[in-house]
Amino acid sequence: MAGIKALISLSFGGAIGLMFLMLGCALPEYDQYWPLFVLFFYILSPIPYCISRRVVDDTDAASNACKELSLFLTTGIVVSAFGLPIIFARAQVIAWGACALVVTGNVVIFATILGFFLVFGSNDDFSWQQW
Amino acid sequence: MSGFLDSIRCGDCECNVDWGEKRNTIASVAAGVLFFTGWWIIIDAAVKYPDQDNFNHAYHACGVIATVAFLMINAVSNGQVRGDSYSEGCLGQTGARVWLFIGFMLAFGSLIASMWILFGGFVVPQKAVVYPGIAVFFQNAFIFFGGLVFKFGRTEDLWQ
Repeated sequence: MAGIKALISLSFGGAIGLMFLMLGCALPEYDQYWPLFVLFFYILSPIPYCISRRVVDDTDAASNACKELSLFLTTGIVVSAFGLPIIFARAQVIAWGACALVVTGNVVIFATILGFFLVFGSNDDFSWQQW
Repeated sequence: MSGFLDSIRCGDCECNVDWGEKRNTIASVAAGVLFFTGWWIIIDAAVKYPDQDNFNHAYHACGVIATVAFLMINAVSNGQVRGDSYSEGCLGQTGARVWLFIGFMLAFGSLIASMWILFGGFVVPQKAVVYPGIAVFFQNAFIFFGGLVFKFGRTEDLWQ
């Protein structure tokens, strides 16, 4: 189990990502809270992979259709989290500067979530009590 | 303070990752990017041109059929079509082949239909705004190629 340092740096990354998202919404020249909808995608993104890890027992098979389907859906959720602010900006609901801040926040948050899975996800003795 | 950079080692990462093992992962991610980018392109066109005159709402059917075709193509594994999987499934080997055949026909059909929509609906009548036609074409092209990558980019060998 990786240590406290990794946990703290991941939580710092999460805080920075959410900071970018809130800046994109709350700065006085933008003042539009539509980009908060990407929070929905942040919450959804780990779910397919977690479900596939729970459902499938064999961790050493090289090919695994359930894991690949979950990876496909996760990629879709990540693409959607980038697509939504871009479409908001093209429809002039938010400013392009706000879009850039939200996209930066997305990059940081998804890197944090990926880091979380890389650091804390790979367990050789997968024990159910961890969840 | 002196020597605080001494312990940093650059280029020390043992990047001996086996790319052959990662083929399925890369194919799944690439297919996901293609498929969902296609859908976000059409969402963008629908948001920019919401009225029926600029973007006839019936043209959405093309992308829907392409998605159904994607699901059909990827619902059967190559092993079931070849007949060498453990269980026969609901339809058996012949049923799996018919299902795959219909799925590919719908996929090709929706790709051809998207080109028809672009040229017949937007280019030939010389409409003022061509972007929705281009968006329909790219949506279906991306969904089609996403389906191909997801179907053929992954290997089903259990032992490599």
